[in-house]
Amino acid sequence: MNLDWSVIPENFWFLMDGAKLTLIIAIIAILFGFAGGILLGMARISKNRAVYGISTGYIEAFRGTPLLVQIFLIYFGLPSLGLQFTPLMAGILALSLNSAAYQAEIFRAGVQSIPKGQMEASRSMGMTYNQSMFHVIIPQALRNSMPTYTNEFITLIKDSSLVMAIGVLELTYSAKDVIADTFQPFVLYIFIAVVYFVMTFSTSRIMRFVERKFAIPGTMGGE
Amino acid sequence: MATPIIETKDLRMAFGDNEVLKGISMQVMPSQCVVVIGPSGSGKSTLLRCMNHLNEPTGGTILFEGHDIAAEDIDINLIRAQMIMVFQSFNLFMHLTAKKNISLALMKVKGVEQAEAEDMALKMLAKVGLSDKADAYPGQLSGGQQQRVAIARAMAMQPKALLFDEPTSALDPELIGEVLDVMKRLALEGMTMVVVTHEMGFAREMADHVIFMDQGVICEQGPPEEIFVNPKNERTKVFLKRILCQVDAMDPLKPNYEDTSLENGNGTCETAPVAEQSAKEVVKNDARTGLKRWFGLR
Repeated sequence: MNLDWSVIPENFWFLMDGAKLTLIIAIIAILFGFAGGILLGMARISKNRAVYGISTGYIEAFRGTPLLVQIFLIYFGLPSLGLQFTPLMAGILALSLNSAAYQAEIFRAGVQSIPKGQMEASRSMGMTYNQSMFHVIIPQALRNSMPTYTNEFITLIKDSSLVMAIGVLELTYSAKDVIADTFQPFVLYIFIAVVYFVMTFSTSRIMRFVERKFAIPGTMGGE
Repeated sequence: MATPIIETKDLRMAFGDNEVLKGISMQVMPSQCVVVIGPSGSGKSTLLRCMNHLNEPTGGTILFEGHDIAAEDIDINLIRAQMIMVFQSFNLFMHLTAKKNISLALMKVKGVEQAEAEDMALKMLAKVGLSDKADAYPGQLSGGQQQRVAIARAMAMQPKALLFDEPTSALDPELIGEVLDVMKRLALEGMTMVVVTHEMGFAREMADHVIFMDQGVICEQGPPEEIFVNPKNERTKVFLKRILCQVDAMDPLKPNYEDTSLENGNGTCETAPVAEQSAKEVVKNDARTGLKRWFGLR
């Protein structure tokens, strides 16, 4: 065993550039996935059969196939249809589309956890379906769904390492690059494991903070 | 004669094969307090929910000030804003303070400015005796207080009628009084009200008109003196006797001298076979739609 820990400081900024890219990819995909998830989730509880059918099909397709295959399909497959993306764009797109499917189900579960009476009371006063959704149901649903959203965000940060397969120089790929030069796989993989852990742990702390801040007084979780 | 605020004509409602309302025709005149009584499962709540179009009736018409509320050119939201429902389970918006609960619909439906809406909210809270709870969340209020906020929320919209769906049934006995007091005050102020309740005291005291419903039909209706003192329909008699007997039975100091004749009397078990049958139906339907549902089809 000859573990040479000095390769970390020597390649520190190169690895941090990779970490920065991982963060950028994850944050953009989380945001797009969140917005897409709400739209898809709304569609999934729609009474319109076509809207319901399309959203269900989308969710089943993206949940039921490997993320890596989706990444390859978008980067290598779509050019045959005349759609060319840079590796970074393809990676972010695949992660966003994939996460939207999962977040749609999180959102739907959140909405359906709200008692029917909330919608009825709101409609009974003359508010439209959309007004009731936006001002009454969704604010409560998002609060209830926070722990599940945290799960999904953390999963997404970790899954972002898959985009190295199409040549995006994010954290895992940069580590692999350094290993090719230094032959220190143990040191580097331990190091990036710690970096990933710092990212996911911070995410869970931030989400917990947000959760507490928006907790409803007089309910469980509120004071 | 003035047009009734709410009028139903041969209103029918069925959930699958289970017919809940079998042709209800009734009228609610302005400033009238109509109380609907009857055993559980008689369709009282469904009747109210149909009036508010929370359930779509399967037959008959509902007229609000002479307009058919199911008509194509009627905006149901405008009708609902004038005929607001108060629920058994309060249904306050859990994530909003009492004040915001009241101001939300004012701003969204009536387009009132925020400051004005909140002034109105405070005024309404004062009216139900909860000025000090303006910034409390529903989870921090007792059941009685929540229901009073719910009534304030409905009143703030200045509706032409209020529909009360068993407003005190979910409350602890000692909290019922404060809600009934608020409702009595509204009735005395001339608010048009339709009240579904098991509170016979309220019905006797405040009702202008009492409707007794059983198994989806109106068995008897009339002024309270007539219904309570001198009921003509057999089912009304049985129901009232049972309810009043329960009140007596709850009094620990009173000897229980009249119970045997009633417990075995006809009518008490009438609803049980019906419920059993519908449960069987449900199971049968489940098997039929099970495969469809398994594939996520509706």
